[in-house]
Amino acid sequence: MNLLYDVTLRDGNHALRHTLTSKFVREYCERANSSGVWAVEVGHGNGLGASSYLVGKSAESDQDLLIAARSSLKDSKLAVHAIPGFATIKRDLMPAIDIGVDIFRVATHVTEANTAEKHIEYLANRDLCVHGVLMMSHMTDINGLITQSRLMQQYGASAVILMDSSGHFIPKDVQERVDALKNSLDIEIGFHAHNNLGVAVANAAAAIGAGAGLIDGASMGLGAGAGNAQLENIVAYSIKEGSSQFEIARFLKMSQLVEDSYPDKLPRASSSSIESGLAGVFSGYAPQVNQISNELGVDVTALWQEMGKRKLVAGQESMIREIAQDLMNL
Amino acid sequence: MQKNRIKVAILGTGNIGTDLCERLLRDPDFEVVALVGRRSDSPGLENFQGKVQNIIPNGINGLLDILENIDGAFDATSAHDHAEHWNLLSSNGKWIIDLTPSKIGKPLVPELIDVIEKFELIEELVANYSMVTCGGQSSAPLLYAFAAHASGISEVEVSSSIAALSAGPATRRNIDEYIQATENLTELITGCESVKAILVLNPADPPIMMRTTVQMKIESCNLNLIKEEVQHVVKRIQRYVPGYDVVVEPHMTSAGLISATTKVTGAGYALPSYAGNLDIINAAAVETARRHANQFSVKLGN
Repeated sequence: MNLLYDVTLRDGNHALRHTLTSKFVREYCERANSSGVWAVEVGHGNGLGASSYLVGKSAESDQDLLIAARSSLKDSKLAVHAIPGFATIKRDLMPAIDIGVDIFRVATHVTEANTAEKHIEYLANRDLCVHGVLMMSHMTDINGLITQSRLMQQYGASAVILMDSSGHFIPKDVQERVDALKNSLDIEIGFHAHNNLGVAVANAAAAIGAGAGLIDGASMGLGAGAGNAQLENIVAYSIKEGSSQFEIARFLKMSQLVEDSYPDKLPRASSSSIESGLAGVFSGYAPQVNQISNELGVDVTALWQEMGKRKLVAGQESMIREIAQDLMNL
Repeated sequence: MQKNRIKVAILGTGNIGTDLCERLLRDPDFEVVALVGRRSDSPGLENFQGKVQNIIPNGINGLLDILENIDGAFDATSAHDHAEHWNLLSSNGKWIIDLTPSKIGKPLVPELIDVIEKFELIEELVANYSMVTCGGQSSAPLLYAFAAHASGISEVEVSSSIAALSAGPATRRNIDEYIQATENLTELITGCESVKAILVLNPADPPIMMRTTVQMKIESCNLNLIKEEVQHVVKRIQRYVPGYDVVVEPHMTSAGLISATTKVTGAGYALPSYAGNLDIINAAAVETARRHANQFSVKLGN
């Protein structure tokens, strides 16, 4: 079976509006540690150093959350997500190294892998485990994916993760892409699903079927927009399929903790997230889109569609108001 | 007329150097005495054959022979080379405008000269001015206007999105340095130590125009005065960056948080209009050189 990569405490922080506490991190990590998940990713929803008015302020610093996780994780690895442009080597990666993070995922928009050159090289040169992540991976074609993945491989990444950040893919899209990358790269492939169209677990299953070695999931699907592939469902699927060594009960304890702690924050495929999935817009924009469309009285569907037309990438929250104003002036 | 022109050399023949050269050739205050590259077959040099008196293909050494013909230079090479260029030029009594991220020169934002004490011109003829970053130049008017009419500033954030096509290999390799330099300038203007800069590259086609959003956490402010101040400062910057506009007016996004967004459309000298990030840096460089040189022409009485 593939390695399971748990993003509950990072992508899930989007669903929590970045209010994650070290107390919860510690409790969750204690349960996750004995479950068999390979790694637990922790931090702000947009990764290290992203706490900001632009994308949302963290209630607790990345460092505090990582220290809490570090003390509870023995068997599972501690992982972080870092986007150049938000996170810097000096301010964010170096302290994370000191805390004892095991896995560093350096992420860029799918066509901009070369902005991660220095960061990936810095980590790889220190013999740390570093993955490259291509976000919004539906925004280029398969050849583009191959080119960008090869850059990350060349910089020293030991895996490349495709993120379906908008939840725009259906299973055949995932299978084609994982197949193509398997044939073009010498390193591991990972896949990270979002559930905007209700097919996140099916997409994760398609990635497993195509031979992806790393599968991302979140307990209760806790993640941006409609959430991620539900981790316990991925495990249940792999048990039925006959490839799993995992005990479902351990995963259900993790999901139960999330469900009990955040009953009103659990993601679902709402009309807004379905629209953003079809429009191919970053799932994490949902809170701002809903807030601004309410405030200005702009039709939420029209707003998502216009954002899709203008091909917004992640981290452009400040464009939402401008686009809404343009729609009002039509 | 000719003898009063500011005589300059341009070091570097990439996007920035080429755009600077086009810009200065059309500016009646300047005379481009030399364009300096490193390869005789550089397309950047070939384009200006016959338009610039001295096309110098052998780097800074080639410029040394005609140093007496220039007042100062624009350096659009690299942070690494800038240190050497500054050494040679300063020891020969020349000023330099630094468009590299070297952090050697004094950070300067032209529309804040005579407005904030830290941005006074250097009174010595031999001077080195750093143009910081595009995010720094484009946020400066808003940072200044916000800070002028707010009290209890506890956090400041500058986030820019630029067209991926306008971000060359140097920007991409030096994204951490970009963030640091932008944060330094933000601190310099606002006096706030808790600052954050963010850069997002957007590959949309057609390319997007550069946007910069400033957000400032404050105890209190006078929003009307801020709006007025923004209008004044924008008028000043538009004199040398005509494509500079405020697209989201200053407003309170939540209690104690003020925000506004600007857009920069490039003037289109040698670069496309979406390269507002490069345009604003070059426009600031030319304006700084003009202001610096003019101090001395006034004092000399010509």
